[in-house]
Amino acid sequence: MNRNYFILTIIMLVLAAGTFFIPRKSLQQQAKPSKLLWEIIQPTRYVSTDQVAKMIIQKDPTLELIDVRSADEYNKFSLPNSINVPLDSIVNEGGMDYFGIPGTNVVFFSNDDIKADEAWVLAKRLGFNATYVMKGGLNRWIETIIQPKEPAEESPGTAFESYEFRKGAQLFFTGAKVEKTTTKKSKIVVRRKKKAVVAAGGC
Amino acid sequence: MHVHELNPKKTLIALLAFVILLLAGFFTMHKPLLTYKLDVKQSLAMLNNPDACFQPWQLADVLNHKDKNVVLIDIRDKFTYGQGHIPGSENISAFDLTKKENIERLDGFKKQGITVVLYGNDQLQANGPWMFFHQVGFDNVKILLGGYDYYHAHKENLMASKNDQSYLKGKARYDFPKVAAKSGSTAGKSTVKTKKPVVIRRKKKAVVASGGC
Repeated sequence: MNRNYFILTIIMLVLAAGTFFIPRKSLQQQAKPSKLLWEIIQPTRYVSTDQVAKMIIQKDPTLELIDVRSADEYNKFSLPNSINVPLDSIVNEGGMDYFGIPGTNVVFFSNDDIKADEAWVLAKRLGFNATYVMKGGLNRWIETIIQPKEPAEESPGTAFESYEFRKGAQLFFTGAKVEKTTTKKSKIVVRRKKKAVVAAGGC
Repeated sequence: MHVHELNPKKTLIALLAFVILLLAGFFTMHKPLLTYKLDVKQSLAMLNNPDACFQPWQLADVLNHKDKNVVLIDIRDKFTYGQGHIPGSENISAFDLTKKENIERLDGFKKQGITVVLYGNDQLQANGPWMFFHQVGFDNVKILLGGYDYYHAHKENLMASKNDQSYLKGKARYDFPKVAAKSGSTAGKSTVKTKKPVVIRRKKKAVVASGGC
């Protein structure tokens, strides 16, 4: 056998053995700093309380609500079907189990939106996409969905539309039952006049 | 016979050139400008550090030049900055702040022990950039609580805000369980007027005598 082949083979085997010593890459790649900053300055992660309410009412299967407050606060009150992942436990064993499930949109929320935003940044750094933050948090939830304010006379039509939606959402979330309310158009009264007897023919 | 057995020298030269090219590429690969200095756990711990926040009343000393160790940076866009900003602040967007010359400035500030305070319209706007700069190693970066909005509303008397807590975020402003309680009964007075369904009355069609008499 040619000696050169022999040497080449030895070199290849040594290199192959070296691959055992390469540090194993974690399953979830951390986002590079430049990419992380770019994502941070996009405002697209914010969803409004109206959007979240709509998704809950429509039973959107992709919605995954994550409450990042403490367990005590979560047990006192939280949004329907939300999961409690306290912010401090994200780095613990199993803290990230609820992120990254394919096909789900994760929406973080807290009392305001700072804590949820912090959770979002950390989740983004850990490489999770499809994550969002509910702007205004539960405080805004109360102000818009549970206790919506009637818009002033001079507000644009859209304000009234969203107010109608919010009234409906309020009833949905507070479980109240109310009879059907206004119809947009009032039904038109149809009165048929008695058809006069028509004398046909002669006298 | 294989070609490399006919020309062993050529093969060797090609091989060497390949290895040299690899090594050259490896050594001239430039380090990225920004790398993480804090891991995720440390980043989380940083969030609970009250020192990383800048209180509105601390601005008073900065504005009257008593505290010369603070640099204010407005991360909003040029137009909003032009409409109103904290006197003495520089307008550098978060993205521009990561350019090479600004990173070098930040490095310089860090070495001199100068505090850099980021602010946006509110705390939320500056929150992401503030967290980011800590994670890449600038622990001298603080965030202004309340943002520009709170400063603007209280700029006449900043020191009074020492006793004010309204700019602190994260507290529940309502008693959630009480306010959002599920009730089985009907909701409170509905301000929407219910219109009575309109009754349609159809008059019976009279018998029509047709033809003859």
